[in-house]
Amino acid sequence: MDRGDSRTRFANVVIPHLDDAYSLARWVTGNRADAEDVVQEACLRALRGIGGFSGGNGRAWVLTIVRNAAYDWLRKNRSPAVVHMDDLEAVERMRIADDATSGPDNPEAALIARADEAKLDAAILSLPTVFRETLVLRDVQGLDYREIATITDVPIGTVMSRLARARRKVIEMLGVDK
Amino acid sequence: MTTTENDRLLLNAYIDGELDPAHVLEFERRLAEDRALADERGRIEALRGAIQDRLPRATASPALRRRVAALAPPQPFAIKGFTGWASIAASAAIAFAAGSFATFVAIGPGGREPTPELLVASHVRALMASQPVDVASSDRHTVKPWFNGKLPQSPRVVDLAAQGFPLVGGRIDVIGLTPGPTLVYRARLHVISVTSLPKSRRAGAPTRPIDGYNMVEWTDGPLAYWAVSDLAAPELENFAKAFRAADPEP
Repeated sequence: MDRGDSRTRFANVVIPHLDDAYSLARWVTGNRADAEDVVQEACLRALRGIGGFSGGNGRAWVLTIVRNAAYDWLRKNRSPAVVHMDDLEAVERMRIADDATSGPDNPEAALIARADEAKLDAAILSLPTVFRETLVLRDVQGLDYREIATITDVPIGTVMSRLARARRKVIEMLGVDK
Repeated sequence: MTTTENDRLLLNAYIDGELDPAHVLEFERRLAEDRALADERGRIEALRGAIQDRLPRATASPALRRRVAALAPPQPFAIKGFTGWASIAASAAIAFAAGSFATFVAIGPGGREPTPELLVASHVRALMASQPVDVASSDRHTVKPWFNGKLPQSPRVVDLAAQGFPLVGGRIDVIGLTPGPTLVYRARLHVISVTSLPKSRRAGAPTRPIDGYNMVEWTDGPLAYWAVSDLAAPELENFAKAFRAADPEP
């Protein structure tokens, strides 16, 4: 593929997903300036790798590159503890109350439904990275389980358990009247 | 009844529409009996609703867009010349992005017949614009009249909100020098463009996605229709089926 072809494919495949790319980078890095650097790096990689794109799901392809760039960025710029937390450890820290039942009128649901932007943002940002990205890919970006499994490079079962735990944790944080 | 880890996974998959029909039936029976599970469903749905309603969609800043666009500057048409439809389509996308589509139409050689690539280029152009529509409305009685007076025929506009494809609005695309009405629908966060042109203008639908975009073509009376989206092929087929089956009258 010559350079002109790469450029035109880049314009077709990558640029339409720039908002999604930025959104994912912002959620993984936790701030806007870093997200912009990550997106720019990811776009460079996408431009170099566009010849290898098989023409399937362009959005998932772009988001996979953004995710990898974001993790590389985290490894370089954050303390290792933040990143190299394996699943087991993360699951340990995500231990949740088993009896999260409430009264018949479900007041917690009403409380969660009223949570404002700042509270939601803070609750999601406080999740460990792998849980946060799974929740964001599903509930903010609207991807299905199979796409999330592809992007985060784990089996669908892992996507399911991360998503369930991420939601439960955010619900715990929001469902407490403070 | 205690809620097990497995119940939680099933509940989340149920809410996300990821359970197969047999499991859905079984799970709905459980939900009816299990108060704790039903309450948890209420909380998860409240959370999803709050995220969708209240978390603003992050958008790339104009500065970031400029930096990314600068990574792959478009090639000047005149020097390179056209090597094929794909390059015309992609050039069109870039010309659009540069806000100079009129120039492309004026100089684009031979771009008279619609092709799948041109339809994809129009869709991509619309995704890059700040709005994929020129008339934004979920009400087909607003969208349909908007085309009157702009085009010889106004398109069939159907309401598919109940099937999960809300109407977003409409625009006019120029496909190979033929202006045609384009309706825009949404499927979750995916955008679907439905363009119609006189049947003599059939482009043929590609069997493989073009740069990640799928396409379905069908005809209805004197018109040919194309639905273009990055939605998965089976879902886009479902959309086309729903569109064709829907009653266009009020």
